[in-house]
Amino acid sequence: MRRVWFALATEDIGDQHRRTTIGPAWLLFNYLAFAGVFIFVFQRGAGIPSYETYIAVGLFVWLYMSDVISGSISLFVREEGLIKGTKLPLSVYVMRMVSQSVIRATYAFLGCALILMMSGAVPSSAWILSALALLLIVVIAPAVIILFAFLGAFFPDSQFIVTNLMRIGMFITPVFWAPGTGDSIRHVIYAWNPFTYFLEIVRLPILTGEFPLFAFVFCSVVGVLCWIFALVILGSFGKKVVFYL
Amino acid sequence: MVSITAKNVALVYRVRKKISLSWPDSRIKKDTNKVAVSGRNLQVEALKDVSFSLTAGDRLGLVGRNGAGKSTLLKVLYGVYPPTSGQVEINGHVDALFNISLGFRKEATGRRNILLRGLINGWQKHEIEERMDSIIEFSELGEFIDLPLKAYSQGMAARLAFSIATSLEPEILLMDEWIGAGDPAFQKKARERMGNIAQKAGIIVLASHNRALITSTCNKVLELDSGRVKRLVDVQEWEE
Repeated sequence: MRRVWFALATEDIGDQHRRTTIGPAWLLFNYLAFAGVFIFVFQRGAGIPSYETYIAVGLFVWLYMSDVISGSISLFVREEGLIKGTKLPLSVYVMRMVSQSVIRATYAFLGCALILMMSGAVPSSAWILSALALLLIVVIAPAVIILFAFLGAFFPDSQFIVTNLMRIGMFITPVFWAPGTGDSIRHVIYAWNPFTYFLEIVRLPILTGEFPLFAFVFCSVVGVLCWIFALVILGSFGKKVVFYL
Repeated sequence: MVSITAKNVALVYRVRKKISLSWPDSRIKKDTNKVAVSGRNLQVEALKDVSFSLTAGDRLGLVGRNGAGKSTLLKVLYGVYPPTSGQVEINGHVDALFNISLGFRKEATGRRNILLRGLINGWQKHEIEERMDSIIEFSELGEFIDLPLKAYSQGMAARLAFSIATSLEPEILLMDEWIGAGDPAFQKKARERMGNIAQKAGIIVLASHNRALITSTCNKVLELDSGRVKRLVDVQEWEE
């Protein structure tokens, strides 16, 4: 099965850029353009130290999560032809989405590394924690994809809700702003937005060298819960999806 | 020993009506024997009480009007739709030819499409490599095989699809309609190949409106009407 989803995913990436001259490198430019706007246009208004690093890592993690969630909400609907015409298990489509998002993220990763290098960030052993945090996020991704794919298939309206929420999400997640101090609204959003913790487990070790224990535990618990729900839903509703498409 | 047994198979599924700003059509009947309406949901009874059994050598023709449940029954046998009630027991590896262009990528070359389609069919990579040359040869695409599919005419794409789909040697083969691919010369070749497959396959279930085709290919005929078995007879009896 691994061959099927990997072949389909590489084909998807190629197809999206097939007629362009620089191909998937557009994904890298897209990331750099985004980061550039935040770094040069938004400036370091909030007084965030190492703002370039803050943006580069935060944006990289956010774009990955946003890509996964926005893409998975319509996953089964997009795969209707194959779901209704083949016996491929649903996991093939989930893993196709995972590999597609990882391939896309690799291009953004190059951009992120480039900004880190240019901003003078010095690699340290704490960066290993960031790498582990990224791994944790990728491990949770299939479960999240399953949950959102079922949501989108059974409740079509949710596609619009989730797409809009993810658009707003970029602004209510501390990608390019910091929480500040005291009881400001930013502080409240920072604390209650679950995406914050997924950003911070990757970003904080690189920025400060510290290990954000609470955020790590929070993300791990969310991951385990997502996997439990995903497997239960896959087992209970997997065979019914075909009737809802 | 290949076999298919279906016992009292029923399939009911729900279709949600779309929200529409147009005035509701009062001519739509609330309940028919196939569709029941409750609120925004339509309950469609696609199959009801379908029973039959097939053993090696059987060639079953599925006939009936559009919407009688032929394609649905094929998909139940293939395992795409789980039956709502009843049982389907299948011994043997099942292959299906429903939509011949399923999974084709127009930006990829013919050669790459053979690989992709093979993987989707569940074939191993080495099996695909082994069949590659004979598929290309049968498709008569020549140098076009290394051009993207979008450069093909419809007939060429259909020839490629047909060549891939029929390169398998199935134990049980499910087919929805006959495949009329390409020009008359290719169609003749296609008919011969289908004849060979029919001989090699343990069981064939073929849904078609083509009376002559059913008569020449099948030994049994199952006639469906509104999802129910109208009759299950030998092909000679059906012809009369």
